[in-house]
Amino acid sequence: MGEPKITDQHLEDSQPNRFKRFMKWVWTDYSVIIAFLIMFVVASFMSPRFLELGNLLNIVMQVSIIGIIALGMTVIMLSGGLDLSVGSVLALVGVLTIMALNATGSITMALLAALLAGPMIGLLNGLMIAKGRIASFIATLGMMAGARSIALYLADGGSMSGEVLAFANISNSDLGIIDVPIIIFIVMTALVFILMHKTRFGRYVYAIGSNEKSARLSAINVEKMKLAIYSLGGLMVSVAAIIETSRLNSISSSSSGQLYELDAIAAVIIGGTRMTGGRGKVMGTFFGVLILGILNNMMNLMNVSPHLQGFVKGLIIIIAVVFQKRE
Amino acid sequence: MALLEMQNIDKSFNQVPVLHDVSLEVNQGEIHALLGENGAGKSTLMNILGGIHHPDKGTINVNGQSVQMTTPKVSQQHGISFIHQELNLVSDLKVYENMFLGQELRKPYGFLDVKEMCLQTEEILTKLGVHIDPQEYVRNLGTSYKQLIEISRALLHKSTIIIMDEPTTALSDSEVEQLFELMRQLKQDGISIIYISHKLKEVKSICDRMTVLRDGYVVHTGPLEGQSLDQITTYMVGKSVSEDRLVSHAHTDEVVLSVDHLTLEGSYHDVSFRIKRGEIVGFTGLAGDGRTELFESLFGYRQNFQGDVQINGKPVHLNHPKKALRAGLGYVPKDRKENAIIQDMDVVQNMSISSLGHFEKNGFISNKLEHETFMNYKNQLNIKVNNPKENIDKLSGGNQQKVMIARWLELNTDIIIFDNPTQGIDVGAKQEIYQHIIQLAEQGKAVIILSSEAPEIMKVCHHVYVMYQGEIVGSFDGSEATEDNILSYATGSKKEAVSVG
Repeated sequence: MGEPKITDQHLEDSQPNRFKRFMKWVWTDYSVIIAFLIMFVVASFMSPRFLELGNLLNIVMQVSIIGIIALGMTVIMLSGGLDLSVGSVLALVGVLTIMALNATGSITMALLAALLAGPMIGLLNGLMIAKGRIASFIATLGMMAGARSIALYLADGGSMSGEVLAFANISNSDLGIIDVPIIIFIVMTALVFILMHKTRFGRYVYAIGSNEKSARLSAINVEKMKLAIYSLGGLMVSVAAIIETSRLNSISSSSSGQLYELDAIAAVIIGGTRMTGGRGKVMGTFFGVLILGILNNMMNLMNVSPHLQGFVKGLIIIIAVVFQKRE
Repeated sequence: MALLEMQNIDKSFNQVPVLHDVSLEVNQGEIHALLGENGAGKSTLMNILGGIHHPDKGTINVNGQSVQMTTPKVSQQHGISFIHQELNLVSDLKVYENMFLGQELRKPYGFLDVKEMCLQTEEILTKLGVHIDPQEYVRNLGTSYKQLIEISRALLHKSTIIIMDEPTTALSDSEVEQLFELMRQLKQDGISIIYISHKLKEVKSICDRMTVLRDGYVVHTGPLEGQSLDQITTYMVGKSVSEDRLVSHAHTDEVVLSVDHLTLEGSYHDVSFRIKRGEIVGFTGLAGDGRTELFESLFGYRQNFQGDVQINGKPVHLNHPKKALRAGLGYVPKDRKENAIIQDMDVVQNMSISSLGHFEKNGFISNKLEHETFMNYKNQLNIKVNNPKENIDKLSGGNQQKVMIARWLELNTDIIIFDNPTQGIDVGAKQEIYQHIIQLAEQGKAVIILSSEAPEIMKVCHHVYVMYQGEIVGSFDGSEATEDNILSYATGSKKEAVSVG
């Protein structure tokens, strides 16, 4: 990771100077972890039930869907873009998944449909942005409206339920004490982490987000990269849609995925990714997601009115960004 | 007594001293040249005068009174206006709106007094002898007019000292003459001008006195009268700069790149040339001559151009930098910050971004391999960096440029284009970069250098092309080119049919 190699120059530094640099490094790169620890400690003092293993697992379980979407969103935002369509696309992919499930009776076919539909829609976003040169905000805003509308049309405005009961096993089984969605979330985090920090793809994403013109003049195929980036975002939505649909073996074309884009963007921002791209970390998003989860959980445990929860969440997001501004 | 006295100014940034005991005196009604190489401290000194930076030590007197330039606003109140190289106008606002930006005239009840503002704008513009409708949008005006508006704004603020930073870079000859006429007029009205420029001939024709900075010290101050250009250059550089040609090796006759009748509407027209293995070819001209657009097209960054390009005898269709790279073209762009550097990445990553395939093992980037390769280039190019993992923007301009060169060396292309390779780089680093460019050619690469500095082109090129308004108007052998000759072609006063080959 970003740990600087110790060279002769560094060894000559006095002890306090090194400590200061270390603290600065932690503060700039990992302030989200500090925030997470603070939240964690505060939460454990405020409610004794918070630290129960069941509750902790429950928190991760609840954020796993948003978390997976936020991973894709991180990649998109690191490239300097934005995807507002994730919530609607989740509903549409869910509807398509159930339709495939019911039509074929095969879970494999349902999964295949889901894993194809998301990246295809992502690719469409990418085409609009890279080839059509439409701002990502606008292109995905259009997709947000369009995908929701098609989901509503296909499901006739209501919910769709799967007729293959075993489909529900995906989200509702566990390995030992850990639920499958949690495992999927963690595996996805690891995969995206490796992709972003260990491969060419990741480097290119950072380069494009940092300076698109430089990236292009460095012989990076920016257009192709954008297609890949938005397709990857779509793939993440597919995975999230499978978990969401499988949870109750049904999807609501009207309410599923509502405002997921905001939660996902919030998690990415809390995680320290810069709105304009080029700077940010996958692990930041991971902890950003957990912070959102703890926040929700704490407010539930403390019986904060559900109507007020949005207010508190908004406040935390703004405070997080204010702190990050002081780079 | 002098109108402006800056005395014994010291200034450091992050413990790096930039100005040492610098004093500057400007009399009323004089045009004072502030000279020095890039990085000599001119901008820092002017930013202190403009209230943007604060001196660590020293005093500033205006009209004999000691003043503290705490903010740009305070500086303005003391009659100082700073006209930056990149003009400070809002192009989507009208002329009069720009003139009064931040100090709009208002009627009682707070509504804007448009009529009065237009009237005053017109008054000042007329005084300067130009006719621009105050209601015109600034975006519709040419650069020289924009400059006039900045000057008018200075006059509107009743400025007594106007700082002009490289005002002529974007102007044509006749516009420069117009500007000088205006400056003489301002001088007569008792206004002082601090004039920063690298164009010594212009400085000599318009300025009265000069102060020369080198590495943060004042090395000379006095009248310009009787000083030869060589003498002034010597002050600036510290030694007389050798005009010797650095390139001596002979190139081969094997044509690597041939370009025929290349045209991009509005940028360049019917450009043809050949480059041989081992040859260094220079393209020069004034700003807006189309050379950058030409080579950005060749590199595939701009599309929709017409004409034929052949590399190693094979026709190529270059519509993306990636394709150009595969065909064997490399391009080190100008304006490093906008076009080359990836600010959020560290030094090593900036070196490797175009050649990541070289550092992959089983699809994953090997940091170790990357680091080792960088250390090779660090030694080879003498890149000064403490920690290769620090952000590229921590490096000085010269070292950043060397990292960019390393980026392209790693790709090892047959043809390599350098656009303004020594932009914003100090003298020492410049020489090093010339040496590396020549070495590349000696190794058999074809090198193209784009530069607006004729001496630079003459020093390192086998062959020189001069462009004017998108066309090649002059073509010389490097050893026969003279600065005067290049300049007369570059300004369009001379033109010849170019024989290709």
